[in-house]
Amino acid sequence: MSTQLNVSDGDAVRAVLEGDREMYRVLVRRYQDTLYQHALRMVGRADDAADIVQRALVNGFEKLGRCRDPEKVGGWLFRIMSNLCKDFLKSPRRDDLSIEGASAAVIDRSDPSDDLERGELQSSVRQALEKLNAEQREAFVLKHLEGRSYDEMSELLGVSKSALKMRVLRAREELQFMLKVYQ
Amino acid sequence: MNPDLRAYLDGELSYEELSPDLRTEASAWEVLAHDMKQGEPPGAPPWLEGAVMTEVAVKPAPARKETALHWLLRSRTIHMSPLTGALAAAAILVVLLLPRAPQSVATDPASTRTTILVEFRLEAPGATSVSLAGDFNDWETDMALEDSDGDGIWTGRVPIQPGIHKYMFVIDGTEWVTDPNAERYSDDGFGNRNAVLAVTPIT
Repeated sequence: MSTQLNVSDGDAVRAVLEGDREMYRVLVRRYQDTLYQHALRMVGRADDAADIVQRALVNGFEKLGRCRDPEKVGGWLFRIMSNLCKDFLKSPRRDDLSIEGASAAVIDRSDPSDDLERGELQSSVRQALEKLNAEQREAFVLKHLEGRSYDEMSELLGVSKSALKMRVLRAREELQFMLKVYQ
Repeated sequence: MNPDLRAYLDGELSYEELSPDLRTEASAWEVLAHDMKQGEPPGAPPWLEGAVMTEVAVKPAPARKETALHWLLRSRTIHMSPLTGALAAAAILVVLLLPRAPQSVATDPASTRTTILVEFRLEAPGATSVSLAGDFNDWETDMALEDSDGDGIWTGRVPIQPGIHKYMFVIDGTEWVTDPNAERYSDDGFGNRNAVLAVTPIT
């Protein structure tokens, strides 16, 4: 086994393209957690998120020769994964989606005093998140759950900063509106 | 949404610059984001690495992107010119640059109108799909281009009726990009530019 965790992304990519496919393990170990966390925040269910990341990493291996900048292969793998997430969210076959780990929170917080009320609020947050479209959810997750800057988001997704700011704003407004409706 | 609150959430204003009311609302947003992350697993499930490497072990080795004549194959749209002479010139261009007969005349079986087969090309390495959307398909993203040799050059031949048409490429189903090599453009009213394609009948 030739796994070397200290090699650069570019060296790992070049080694894989030269035939050392075991070096792909370096990239899998380096990026699987980040990819998985984003996928989980996007699609909500652990098994769906793991399936998407697995497919993204395998697709990434198959298309590795197309990666224009091997030093930024992490961002390239992220784009493959994020597109699979959006395809999944837009798929008509997608059944009942749930957001794991989404706990009670509302914009106009009213400090719920019993479990029943807290359960209703959790349900409200889940419903609100599910109603965001894929692009809005992606922008909201990157900005507010992953704490990325608009510069990073723009480079990662290949979308202009102004468009991303608009998506985040729309996501906030949608969430705010829906959470008020559910209250 | 209040502009100051928006600026704060976008990282353009500090917490201290917010009014007391907005500080309460800003805090609520941070609590919302914090609560959303509660209970999340720290990373990928332990079996994932093995599952990926097991699949990778039986996949064909990835091919390097071919770079020879890369510049020559940069994305370009073949236009049908309005005059026969220009059409001939375009045909010569096609022969020189795109030797695989990128355009021809076809008869649309659904009608008696002649359509012109136009080849579209876009260089998009790293894309998992590229499609064509224009007024000729109601801006749907279902006209898929192909990159069968994996060189990042996506192509597709589409029968188009004569006329002036606007179009864009859609990468991975979401990213709308203007053809960088179109000869003409028009504003789409949303701050972007559509590529403009002129298709004229062959007489």
